[in-house]
Amino acid sequence: MATAMPADVRPAEQEQGEEQDIEPAVKRVPPQAGQQPNYSFYVEPFKLEERPRRFLEAFAAILRQSNYGPVLDTYCRVGAKCSVCTASCPVYQVTHDPSDIPCNRSELLLKVYRRYFTLAGNLKSRLFDYFRLTNEHINTLTESVWRCTACKRCKYSCPMGIDHALVTHLARWILAEIGIVPKALVVSVRQQLEGQTHNTSGIPVPALKDTCEFLEEELEEVYPGAGISFPFDVEGCEYVFFPAVSDYLMEADTLMGNAAMLHATGTSWTIGTGNFDGIDYGLFYSDAMWERIIKAQVAEVHRLGGKSMLIGECGHASRSAKEGMAYFIPPEDQVPVVNIMELAYEKFRAGQLILIPDAIEERTTYHDPCNIARKGWIIEQPRAILRHICQDFVEMEPHGCDNYCCGGGGGMVSIDEIREFRTLVGGKTKAEQIKATGAHYVVTPCANCKKQIDEVIKDHGLPQVRTGLHDLMLKAIVLPNGQEPILQEEED
Amino acid sequence: MPVEQWLEWTRGPLFRFALAVMVLGLIRLVVLNGINLISLVRHSYDKKMPVGVVARDTLRWLFPFTRVPASQRFFTLVSVAFHLCIIIVPIFLAGHILLWQRGLGLSWPAMHQTLADYMTLFAIATGLLLFGKRVSTHLTRSLSRVQDYLLPLIIVTTFASGYLAVHPAVNPAGYDATMLVHALSGDLVLILIPFSKLSHMLLLPISHLVSELGWHLVPEAGTRVARALGKEGEPV
Repeated sequence: MATAMPADVRPAEQEQGEEQDIEPAVKRVPPQAGQQPNYSFYVEPFKLEERPRRFLEAFAAILRQSNYGPVLDTYCRVGAKCSVCTASCPVYQVTHDPSDIPCNRSELLLKVYRRYFTLAGNLKSRLFDYFRLTNEHINTLTESVWRCTACKRCKYSCPMGIDHALVTHLARWILAEIGIVPKALVVSVRQQLEGQTHNTSGIPVPALKDTCEFLEEELEEVYPGAGISFPFDVEGCEYVFFPAVSDYLMEADTLMGNAAMLHATGTSWTIGTGNFDGIDYGLFYSDAMWERIIKAQVAEVHRLGGKSMLIGECGHASRSAKEGMAYFIPPEDQVPVVNIMELAYEKFRAGQLILIPDAIEERTTYHDPCNIARKGWIIEQPRAILRHICQDFVEMEPHGCDNYCCGGGGGMVSIDEIREFRTLVGGKTKAEQIKATGAHYVVTPCANCKKQIDEVIKDHGLPQVRTGLHDLMLKAIVLPNGQEPILQEEED
Repeated sequence: MPVEQWLEWTRGPLFRFALAVMVLGLIRLVVLNGINLISLVRHSYDKKMPVGVVARDTLRWLFPFTRVPASQRFFTLVSVAFHLCIIIVPIFLAGHILLWQRGLGLSWPAMHQTLADYMTLFAIATGLLLFGKRVSTHLTRSLSRVQDYLLPLIIVTTFASGYLAVHPAVNPAGYDATMLVHALSGDLVLILIPFSKLSHMLLLPISHLVSELGWHLVPEAGTRVARALGKEGEPV
């Protein structure tokens, strides 16, 4: 089974000394001639011959067919090199390596653009011994763009509004076209698009149904006699449900909370057996894959005659669906994309979702997933619910659209071989933030953040318990008949 | 040729040339970016111009007092002061307005000379601070290009020579020579505007707009790229 989220495949947790040397996990070993470069993550074997030429061909093809050219053009002109972004990048703040400065990272690609796709670069190269694209440069670019968590904090700290995440996004696509993609991501996408199960975790439909039956039994213990169910392939529903498929393997409580909320509010929803995975790793490395995946998801919504796409607790799945819908789906086929927290909040505000006030005694904090918070999409909705159900809700600083990434964004969390880099470098600030709250629960409504924060908590030896929003709501949802949940013993 | 004649030349023909280069260069940038923006919108399904978001982001950075990381606040203030001074003083200085009036018959209210003096000194001080910051740390040096070092120096030269020219008491050199440096460096700044990062005086909102529209990805681009690279139908 090809799984994108091999949560438990890590060997026993490593001893983390207090004086942990935060030397980045990335080790740049110069490859011998004719030898596969040794990146800090696994890459499937790719063609080594004429890489610069093939990189430029891919770059040229993408520029011709897409919108990136004008963007790079403007960025080349306006970059003021003011260094404000250094104060916002969680990776640079830990490594203090100039190559991790967002502006320098973007420059790696802009340099290639300037040299090969602008008149000035062309002239310069004729007059002087100007920059030339080499294998080494491609290797440097590869390492650099896969150290970025695409959290987009730098975009909002750039006076010129340069979106370094967009440049990284493009660089990853070009690299993907010449075969350089972290293996963990490409294997998942292959399984999703060409595998028999059509999902990144390779869950066959019978196993999915078994899992849901098990969850229904568990829900029966929480709400005896309520008959909360996971409906499959119901046609003409309001919502077709796409959680991150890894939830079915690892986040039972989240899914039970989802089902209980949807049941309590009388929402008409279904899971499509043709496609039930909200994950879209195309967002992280290739527009081509992004488009294919969102199209397959939307096709499932139309097959079932659903009216909206309901995304589970997952940041990147929400953004890739919402934005992908606008970019890649013809307007006549578009359907609204709703995150399950938006729905829960709407129902809660309308009085259709009754939640027991102050049901959670322990101090609780909330981590904003970058993909739904950075542009201000989903910030207040979960907080309104948390403030209602928690006795002691505290914020991390900064939070909301200025939050820090968990360190696992941009697809990084799936790459297990860079765990040290993810948790000790990318996740260091988050660990400090979590620690400072003194909270018991860290709520994060995102499959990626959940796995990453679990590992951050483990690797930094923190006492906190990571949970999802609906996991907590499951302890507070009152069914329309007044039935309250029977609280289960918390498993360690 | 005596200095006075050089001075006339820099304030006359050279200034007109520099101004023309600046105006035409900026027009060129507007046209090029206009074409870029149209092509960004044309190929995507989403045709909406996110004007509100861009206006908000631009204004936020014209008055950057929110959302600036604490460690950057001091230099953000320095930078804002620097920008305000170098924009306001050259436009509203009485001496400059007099030149416009003589040349084109245009005139507008001038700022008080004392205020102009203080703002000039402020521009010099903040410009030197910004330059100092750039050369003082490994971080900023690693980011900097040649123009990042030269532009603040050229601008400071313009302001310093301008100040010295109108304050003979503190000027160790003669008026004409100082004024010549002032006019030459001023003309140079104008010429450099469209070809350097100084173009952000015009491109700031455009850059914010491009960042928003850049995410309006083009449908079917992936398929066409695969076709162009001869990889159509290849497995993932």
